[in-house]
Amino acid sequence: MKHKKNTFIKIPFRGSGFSYRKNYWISPVVFIVLIALWHLGSTLGFISKLVLPNPTEVVIAFHDLYVTGDLYLHVGASLKRLILGWTLGSILGIIIGFAIGLFSLVRAGLAPIVAAIFPIPKIALLPLFIIWFGIGELSKVNLILFGTLFPTIIATYGAIDNVDRSLIRMGQSFNLTWFSITKKIVFPASLPVILSNMRITAAIAIILIVAAELIAAEKGIGAYIQMAGSLFAIDRLLAGIIILSCMGLIANWLIGFTERKLLKWRNL
Amino acid sequence: MELVVEGVSKTYDDLLVLNQIDLTADEGQIVCIIGPSGCGKSTLLRLMGGLEEPSSGNIKTRGSPPSDCLNALTFIFQDFSLLPWRTVESNISLVLEDHPISNKEKQEIINSVLQRTNLSEFSKRWPRELSGGMKQRVGIARALAVNPSILLMDEPLSALDSQTSEILLNDLIDLWDKQRFTSIYITHNLSEAIRIGHKIVVMSRRPGEVRETVNIEKALKERELRNIELEKYLWDLLKEEAVAAEREIGSET
Ligand SMILES: Nc1ncnc2c1ncn2[C@@H]1O[C@H](COP(=O)(O)OP(=O)(O)OP(=O)(O)O)[C@@H](O)[C@H]1O
Ligand SMILES: [Mg+2]
Repeated sequence: MKHKKNTFIKIPFRGSGFSYRKNYWISPVVFIVLIALWHLGSTLGFISKLVLPNPTEVVIAFHDLYVTGDLYLHVGASLKRLILGWTLGSILGIIIGFAIGLFSLVRAGLAPIVAAIFPIPKIALLPLFIIWFGIGELSKVNLILFGTLFPTIIATYGAIDNVDRSLIRMGQSFNLTWFSITKKIVFPASLPVILSNMRITAAIAIILIVAAELIAAEKGIGAYIQMAGSLFAIDRLLAGIIILSCMGLIANWLIGFTERKLLKWRNL
Repeated sequence: MELVVEGVSKTYDDLLVLNQIDLTADEGQIVCIIGPSGCGKSTLLRLMGGLEEPSSGNIKTRGSPPSDCLNALTFIFQDFSLLPWRTVESNISLVLEDHPISNKEKQEIINSVLQRTNLSEFSKRWPRELSGGMKQRVGIARALAVNPSILLMDEPLSALDSQTSEILLNDLIDLWDKQRFTSIYITHNLSEAIRIGHKIVVMSRRPGEVRETVNIEKALKERELRNIELEKYLWDLLKEEAVAAEREIGSET
């Protein structure tokens, strides 16, 4: 560090990197390049048709699905089960979660049972549900309901346990009624956790419905994939998988949208 | 209203936090409580506000609150305790909603307290958009909205920088001058206590006891910025206790 006493040295900038910058065009470019490479590989024969069909064939499979009306049939069947099971499971889960979070007696009675059922992989219950509810819609809807219910209960009462006690104290110090405190303080304070849990349960619900349809169904995306697989129709199989990816993305987007609407107090 | 604390003790499990506290806040008087950290000041205030129950002794009020008083004993909190999902206006409306008042009246009360705390132009803002000083103004506005007869303040200015707290202190003094509420005011800041207290209660370290009570006769409006002599007197009372309290183990908060 020998510098002459009277020379000035500009301080070098060393604070770059390790920060996140937004980049809107990178991901579409990567996506397009990957598809192009895949297409090129298939056309030139590097990629065997038995492993991966040409992307154009997947597009054709999609087109067939659409033209024959099978798209509507399968997606419709899956969506119906998903929406019904997931909505009921979420509503019930939030209600039970609130009951556990707010009343010690309910917690003492239900929390251990919930804890015991929660870790069971719900797909293992499908055979039982088929015996109880039959092979039709009811067993599948109930499976999703069950799969959604328990994580929702646990997330909801966990969220209530974590509500800032000083806010509740504040409410009590102004003589707010129990109902007001629950509705205006406890509920909005736990909403962020409840909503982010919905992302997780939506993914669980999609996993469960596909698994259930793979095992026992005539209609639905899972059944469609199962049929395509047994016929070695990889193009159709891939079309089914892409539909699942889209369903997941849409569910995620819908929840993100709800979050932005309901939690606009959180960020600008 | 007058607030009377008679022989109040409080224990948590085996921990004696407050021991035989006696004190009175007369009508229209501001009583400042100072004492070392962990001596039970916040606990005492929660007891006074009915948020906790004393292990022994009594806390009473005397006299009746003003006729339009909605919540006689009202807190102003150190951490503001605003609901982040409600705007300024709506945070104030929160404490009115459980009372049978018309929307028009509610809006009038809100406008009036916002004006008294210089917040009118911020009525539609979210708490996160406000500075600390502004947040505490909302806390004060919310307290004023229920027209309290006793204000319980737990270090209301200690989360603010010193310039902001100076401004708010003057605003509180102005408010008191207009409304003459009774108040218990907890602080760590001796000069703050000397500026706003009619009576200063010095507490000992845990278990908290009343060590000394100092009355200051001079009207709030006429007080100087500092009263070094009195400050030194109070600090001498506190010093030993504070040094010992600071070295104590297991007195979190
Ligand atoms: N709910 C509680 N349960 C158990 N102990 C408590 C509880 N609340 C307070 N304490 C204990 O009581 C003592 C007094 O606490 P308190 O908050 O009243 O002190 P304080 O005088 O307000 O302190 P500070 O000046 O730091 O705000 C502390 O030792 C604290 O650990
Ligand atoms: Mg305290």
